[in-house]
Amino acid sequence: MLKRIWLLFINTFTISLTANSGYAMLGVIKNRFVDKYGWFSKEEMEDYIALAQSCPGPIACSSSMIIGYQSCGVLGALASVLGVIIPPFIMMIIVTFFYTFISTNQYVRIFINGMQIGVCAMLLDVVLGLFSGVVKFNKLFYYVIVLLSFLYVRLTDYSIFFLALICILIAVIKSLLIKKEVDNRL
Amino acid sequence: MISLFEIFLSFIKIGLFAFGGAYAVIPLIEEEMVNTTAWMSFKEFSDLVAIDELTPGPIIVNSSTFIGMKLAGIPGAIVATLSCVVPGCIIALILIYLYKKYKEIPVISETIKVLKCMSVALIFSVLLKMFMNVVFNSETLSLTNINYFTIILMIICFYLLKKYKTNPLFIMLVCGLINLLISFIL
Repeated sequence: MLKRIWLLFINTFTISLTANSGYAMLGVIKNRFVDKYGWFSKEEMEDYIALAQSCPGPIACSSSMIIGYQSCGVLGALASVLGVIIPPFIMMIIVTFFYTFISTNQYVRIFINGMQIGVCAMLLDVVLGLFSGVVKFNKLFYYVIVLLSFLYVRLTDYSIFFLALICILIAVIKSLLIKKEVDNRL
Repeated sequence: MISLFEIFLSFIKIGLFAFGGAYAVIPLIEEEMVNTTAWMSFKEFSDLVAIDELTPGPIIVNSSTFIGMKLAGIPGAIVATLSCVVPGCIIALILIYLYKKYKEIPVISETIKVLKCMSVALIFSVLLKMFMNVVFNSETLSLTNINYFTIILMIICFYLLKKYKTNPLFIMLVCGLINLLISFIL
């Protein structure tokens, strides 16, 4: 148990120290905890990503909180969130003293742009994984939800909060309708 | 001097309404810091966004630490970071608790399914944005400035991730180095 908590902390710590955005971290989290340690199945991880996206705040925090809680309870959740927060926290305090150097240095920029290529490949892997989950549902309804959510994000400036709310509402209505149908048949 | 309580209020607001990851949240932070409170000038804020992308860690954590540090030193950094992270963490804990306990109930499992569809759309839209930036160096399509090298590197990365489950952190760092090397050669 203690070893697991330590693994959670040290992994989220190194991930946060390297990846430069929350979305980049999602891919690494999946690679570590599903492929390397095998703590969760691919399907479980996809559920967690969906839940994490429905929370406000940094996606890296909510997703690591969820995997931490699922593997070691509240202590695990705390350990993994601290792992995510500490590296950027210390880094940014140092950065405030010489941030003009970092923001104007072209080599830093070129290096980060290169890293983005890897991040794209990783996100593609994550998206395809999630999408194959949607394909498994095998219903037109879910494809329509994907399409509509995509249009919502690209074409409107409204908060994702409302999108999540609408999605939850649709899900509740749909399952109520199905229940009614089943009741009628009985 | 801005009081810690004011910082707390401001960042808890960001923490509660920051849905959809960094790309959706940066405008929210800008609104709060530049327009509502006028704690930062627009110039300072755009510097901050550049630094966020260049430093490791979730972008929201980076910016809140940085802003807190600028406003009230290390105590400010601690207050800002915690108040924008904690609301999301609490909501994540509630969601995962509900998920664990009630995931067999049709309404909940249906909700997870629909949220999964939403997260495919969200991640895909982030991926698209990044892809356009890396491959075309802009948000618009144009055949003249496609960066073929980037596409090839991305495909190789994807293959390595998919087939060999290579550590994504390693892939990201190598991509950064390759990009740096290429810029020296060309």
